[in-house]
Amino acid sequence: MPEDPLSVRLYRRLLKLYPAGFRENYAAAMERAFRDELQESHGVLLWLRLLADLAVSLPEQFARELAQDARHTIRLWAARPWHTAFAILALAIGIGANTGVFSVVNALLLRSLPFRDADRLATLQIFFPPLDSPRHFHDWRTQSDYLADAALWETGDVNLGGSGEWQRAHVAQTSWNFFQLLGTQPILGRAFAPGEEVEGNGWGTPGPNAVAVISYGLWQSLYAGEARALGSTIRIDGNPLAIVGVAPPGFDYPEQTVIWKPAAYSGGNFGWTTIARLKPGITWERARSEVLADGYRVWPASRRAPHSKPSTLTPLRDELAGPSKRASLLLMAGVALILLIACTNVANLLMARTADRAAELSIRSALGASRARISQQLLTECALLSLAAAFAGLAAAFATTSIAARLQPAALASQTYSLLDRRVLAFAIAVSLLSGLLFGVLPALYASRVHIFGTRSSSDVRGSRAIRDTLVAAQVMLTIVLLTASISLGRAFTAIMHLDRGFNRSGVITAGVSLEGTHVETDSGRIAYFQEVFGRLRRLPGVRSVSSTQFLPLVAKGFMGGRFSLDGRRASENSIVVPVLPDYFRAMGAGILAGREFTPADLQSTAEPAIVNDAFARQFGQPGELLGRHVDIGNSHWTIIGVVKRMDYLADGANGSEIFRLSRSPGGWPGWTVVVKVDGRAEERLATIRDTIQSVDRKVPVFGVKTMQQRMDDLFARPQFYRTAVTFFAAFALLLAIIGIYGIVSYTVARRTHEMGVRMALGATPETLRVVLLRQGLLPIVAGAIPGIALAVLSGRLLESLVEGARSVEPAAYAGAVLFIAAIAAAGIRIATRPIARLDITEILRTD
Amino acid sequence: MPPRNQPTDLTPLSPAVFHILLSLGEGERHGYALRREIAQRTGGKLKLGPGVLYGSIHKMLEWELIEESDERPDPHLDDERRRYYRITPYGRKVAQAEAARMRGLVQLAAAKFGAPKHA
Repeated sequence: MPEDPLSVRLYRRLLKLYPAGFRENYAAAMERAFRDELQESHGVLLWLRLLADLAVSLPEQFARELAQDARHTIRLWAARPWHTAFAILALAIGIGANTGVFSVVNALLLRSLPFRDADRLATLQIFFPPLDSPRHFHDWRTQSDYLADAALWETGDVNLGGSGEWQRAHVAQTSWNFFQLLGTQPILGRAFAPGEEVEGNGWGTPGPNAVAVISYGLWQSLYAGEARALGSTIRIDGNPLAIVGVAPPGFDYPEQTVIWKPAAYSGGNFGWTTIARLKPGITWERARSEVLADGYRVWPASRRAPHSKPSTLTPLRDELAGPSKRASLLLMAGVALILLIACTNVANLLMARTADRAAELSIRSALGASRARISQQLLTECALLSLAAAFAGLAAAFATTSIAARLQPAALASQTYSLLDRRVLAFAIAVSLLSGLLFGVLPALYASRVHIFGTRSSSDVRGSRAIRDTLVAAQVMLTIVLLTASISLGRAFTAIMHLDRGFNRSGVITAGVSLEGTHVETDSGRIAYFQEVFGRLRRLPGVRSVSSTQFLPLVAKGFMGGRFSLDGRRASENSIVVPVLPDYFRAMGAGILAGREFTPADLQSTAEPAIVNDAFARQFGQPGELLGRHVDIGNSHWTIIGVVKRMDYLADGANGSEIFRLSRSPGGWPGWTVVVKVDGRAEERLATIRDTIQSVDRKVPVFGVKTMQQRMDDLFARPQFYRTAVTFFAAFALLLAIIGIYGIVSYTVARRTHEMGVRMALGATPETLRVVLLRQGLLPIVAGAIPGIALAVLSGRLLESLVEGARSVEPAAYAGAVLFIAAIAAAGIRIATRPIARLDITEILRTD
Repeated sequence: MPPRNQPTDLTPLSPAVFHILLSLGEGERHGYALRREIAQRTGGKLKLGPGVLYGSIHKMLEWELIEESDERPDPHLDDERRRYYRITPYGRKVAQAEAARMRGLVQLAAAKFGAPKHA
């Protein structure tokens, strides 16, 4: 037979583009029509016409067959609504959770920061550049070998006012080149100029630095976005600042700042953060070794605390992502496992359904449907399933993102998590397609085998059963990993929440007040203000005791402190200093080990009393031995009147020496906190407490009125969220695994009814048959448990390194997890095999 | 098969479908003969490519406007066996409905613009 001409072969190729059903029916006829046409005309015109013909008819035929397959699929779904709903739900949760968590990872780790060339920006840690004067700092940064530029910032909360009500605002003082370093230009006005920095302490000292750049949000709310904002004056803590610029929308670095002002330099301030841009060509590794040496050069070891850590630097991106980086990756791993389990489960479901449909598929193939046509049908089913799941998944993702957005780190608050990000959408689509492939491929392979053999042979049944058992084993394996991880995280969280923090949080209400810049300026006026507040609060029913402190345990971010001496003997570690008012320890429910608490009488005397904690006392002797002795630092000399149990001031657990002193000038930076101990439910008293404090002086801002419990919940919201998330994952994984096992067993029972009838006729009791099925059903669980435990041990180690306080669970817990799964699975199998007990042998055998 | 519709439900027909019905109204045809006849009837203005031709046939089979008759050789061309199609009674009704629809249009146009002088 002579070979066909090239054009015919080419056309035959093109015909392969048509959908299977149409191709089978008409490819031959169309080829013949093409040959006929070749006899009439040829050349470019013919091909142009053919291509146009193709362009018109291809989409039409595809749409027709797709609609046909889709209708068929929907009929199938409607016939088994529970199966379908379950498959879509499982995939939706899997896809949704993955997309949601990915949107967080994307915002935290992948998306570009709103800075120029952000990947070259770094934060220097435990590094104090020369700060005595602006000149010292700028000389240092311009002479650096490894940094192209460096800038400073320090933040604090201030009272912002000018007209009418005061509000609290987050302010940053920065070196003049701050905006220039980040590559951010104000959208209105200008950034700072070199001459606008000053020497000296203080945030609002009037001088050339009395200028400000305000955030876009503040510009909108104070000046309705009008250009007259430039040149107008705002007051922070009473000091006027002239607005010279407006930051672009979304820019709030550092820490949700709304006002930036030029820095006031002083040698004694260690609150600065140094950010820098690496010189071109300098690697991170090189920069780290340079900053280490530089750190010792500008701040020699002799001036450092004995065990202080060496200087280092971190990419700004990592610094901003902070602890959420690891946690987000952990969550990502968790949701990926969930999706895997969901996919295996749906694969399993489809396998069972395809096996069920073997008869239907055989008939269709006998009626002339080709393998391609049947594959196309199965493929459409999978695609529709992933499509439905993807839509439901996006809905789930919206929920996940909104939860995640509430737990985002403050530094990225302006970076909203958006599902409409191109990368997130691409991820969602990729995940849906990938899972479609994952759960679609096995059933499709199986179906093609069914088709080849025409009918189902027993080896086919065994083969599909083996595949499905393997899938169940894989699910059990993944479930064990999630179950043990949730136990481990749950314990870590419980441990955090039940630590003895040195104070009693129940019944404690906290409220911030700040007298900075208000008309209550003199020290005596400040004391009088607090005494009036305390007096009014004490008159409220159910109020036990009232006090105030400059720093609240766990919550406060900045501290004062230093190396103190006791009667001239230097302490071996630094202490933080907490100024308080009388009755503080009573209100906080702290434990007094020796001596007494501050009393109102102490405020009247001229003595300077102090109370130290046990960690400080331990450096010098027993608590009782310290009473009456003197602690001093610089020009301060205080007499110890009491020793208390340690209170946790730092949330990270690195708590040590604390010295409490009686303040005679309360109300200043960073805003003092009134603490009120009440009887009964504290959260019901919040409004009363706030109104009472506010009633003393309308012009003093009262903010952050919360119970101590609420503050701790906020503080530990993230670990709580992780625990809840992983527990949910584990529960969901377990549910999926159980449904998978139940499905397989009940399917087996339905398939083998006839065989069971024969066996029972031969003397087997229903009970023995059920035991056999139980054994068969539990087999994949045992098979999955072994690699599952191995994986869980590995993931436990990973968790230990990723999550603070997480400990690997002990062997008994692994065994417990496996037994738990096995027990629930056994119950599921028992329920699934219940129909066997009701089997009627005569009925079964009659159908033979 | 979709339930059979009223003949008017399918109108207006696409030119390809209407021309195929017209050709089959004269007798059984195979695909290529249809194509040739339609090209001649329209003076070469409507040349159905294989995709559109068989796409239309496929659709018309499904709508039960036409049906396949036996496969047999084309006496005019060669010995190759070809698939022949014929119009169904329902197909005739649909073609009549389409013609009626067109007649209505023509009358309307004549009333508005007058009848063409060289029809």
